[in-house]
Amino acid sequence: MKTLRDKYCIVGVGETEYSRGSGRTTRAMAVEAVRRAILDAGLAARDVNGMMDYQSGDSTLANHVASDLGIRLDFYMDVVGGGSSTEALVGLAMGAIEAGMCQTVALYRSMNGYSEFRIGGTGARAAQPVRGLDLAQIPFGMRSAGQNFAPTFMRHMYEYGTTSEQVAHVKVAHSRHASQNPKALLRERVTVADVVGSRWIVKPLHLLDCCLETDNATCVIVTAAERARDLRHRSVHVMGVAGRVSKPRLDFHWAHGPITRVAGYYAKDIVFGQAGIGPQDVDVTGSYDAFTFTTMLQLEEYGFCKKGEGGQYVSSGAIELGGRRPNNTSGGHLCEGYTHGMSMVIENVRQLRGTVDDSCPGAAEGVHSYDYAPGRCRQVKDAEISMNLGWATPPIGSALILRR
Amino acid sequence: MPQPVQYRGMTLIVPDNDSEWTAFYAHARAHRLVVRRCTACGLLRYPPTHACPWCMDLGWTWQEVSGRGTIYSYEIVVHAIQPGFKELTPYAVVLVELDEQRGQPTPDEALRIIGNLVRPDLTPEPDANVAIGRRVRVVFQDLAEHMALPQFTLTDEPAQGRVWRLPE
Repeated sequence: MKTLRDKYCIVGVGETEYSRGSGRTTRAMAVEAVRRAILDAGLAARDVNGMMDYQSGDSTLANHVASDLGIRLDFYMDVVGGGSSTEALVGLAMGAIEAGMCQTVALYRSMNGYSEFRIGGTGARAAQPVRGLDLAQIPFGMRSAGQNFAPTFMRHMYEYGTTSEQVAHVKVAHSRHASQNPKALLRERVTVADVVGSRWIVKPLHLLDCCLETDNATCVIVTAAERARDLRHRSVHVMGVAGRVSKPRLDFHWAHGPITRVAGYYAKDIVFGQAGIGPQDVDVTGSYDAFTFTTMLQLEEYGFCKKGEGGQYVSSGAIELGGRRPNNTSGGHLCEGYTHGMSMVIENVRQLRGTVDDSCPGAAEGVHSYDYAPGRCRQVKDAEISMNLGWATPPIGSALILRR
Repeated sequence: MPQPVQYRGMTLIVPDNDSEWTAFYAHARAHRLVVRRCTACGLLRYPPTHACPWCMDLGWTWQEVSGRGTIYSYEIVVHAIQPGFKELTPYAVVLVELDEQRGQPTPDEALRIIGNLVRPDLTPEPDANVAIGRRVRVVFQDLAEHMALPQFTLTDEPAQGRVWRLPE
């Protein structure tokens, strides 16, 4: 297998505030996030000559963002896509650099996902006419992401005996992590009883099984490893990447079972094969937690536990700070805010640098207490390898393995 | 072009050049459930698409199916997203595995279709009666002169395999 293992790095990360009402344009937010990532890397505008972004008709394109920042581009692409695009674009940025098209690429996502184009399917999206393949689902009141995924979750409960209480532990863990994250929208710790006692949205999903629609922009910057050495932070290397790997019949995946199988089934060999490691070598994961269930499904599909044992795994304590392999240490989409996946990559980069922005006074210099009590530390001690599990839908996903 | 259909606050559009759905809905309006059958390998597929996903042949014909099947999975929408569905809540969306072509061409594949689980009068079937394994048959909800939605209703046939519903 051809591999670019360790040849490329993520050198800069940045984001705006997470809010439920930004009061400004996606252009303004994108410009702020990209600028922060450039400065975080220790770069100047002239050092960035590639740009890519992902959106679904709800954002500002790269030509505007680059222009605002005085960046002249040798390469850019605006990509249609939502969840799982982040990891895929890291791979595409590596390819563009490898092809000699550019040297340093900024990747961003900017969305008023709460105040404008609501990701949950209400607001501007709900007014769109229904045609084509959408006719197979939407006229039956199956429009939102939760409604689209729920039969997969229900079937998992049927086949494997997975319970609401087991899966609620994902929210519990992420809420604990968010309590250590000053940026997070929801910093209150919750219990299993809170989750299963919250109101039903679409069975088997309770309110607290669902993530938070959020306004925000996020950015990561990719460049070659030899260039990264001179930059501001400890280099974070890409060991392996898989982008938008799909199951058969991906546009109507119900036709091709088992429907409890998700895209990681196909992606894991690609990404672990490039990296030359296995799940046992990963210290921290960042899993796309659009819902509690999506994290559980991905962790088992990538082999962090056996298929069907995801419920036991996520309720075992393994995914919490202080556990064997913490997941979504920022609080993720369930608690920090919903970013279409970019924020979990940003968090893992900071984990591998050792400079997670928790409440430790020396956090920026890498000095942490490793005290995981509320309001304290969320740095994973000696984190060397992280993995991101990107999710679009049950049949579409991406993955990214990073090392320090 | 036929007029767009207004249904529960949604605008459903099937233009004349919609080579996937126009005839499907004409059959549905005549209360026939049809799927596409590959003229090369004979396998059935849903939703309507233009090449056979198993042999890539472009030839197809419409074939009527029995409309009988088993609930393979489901969800109960309690908090509706679309405003026109709020008065229906809680309503069931079911993934029905049709009797034709179960476990073919591989054991995990089947003809599966999404619909609402309704009583014969097309009102939502109560949550307590919705379960994986229960048998259903198609019924049609007429929306316009040229369009009807296939929906599903419970039958009194014995269940297929283990019957399971989400614990209360």
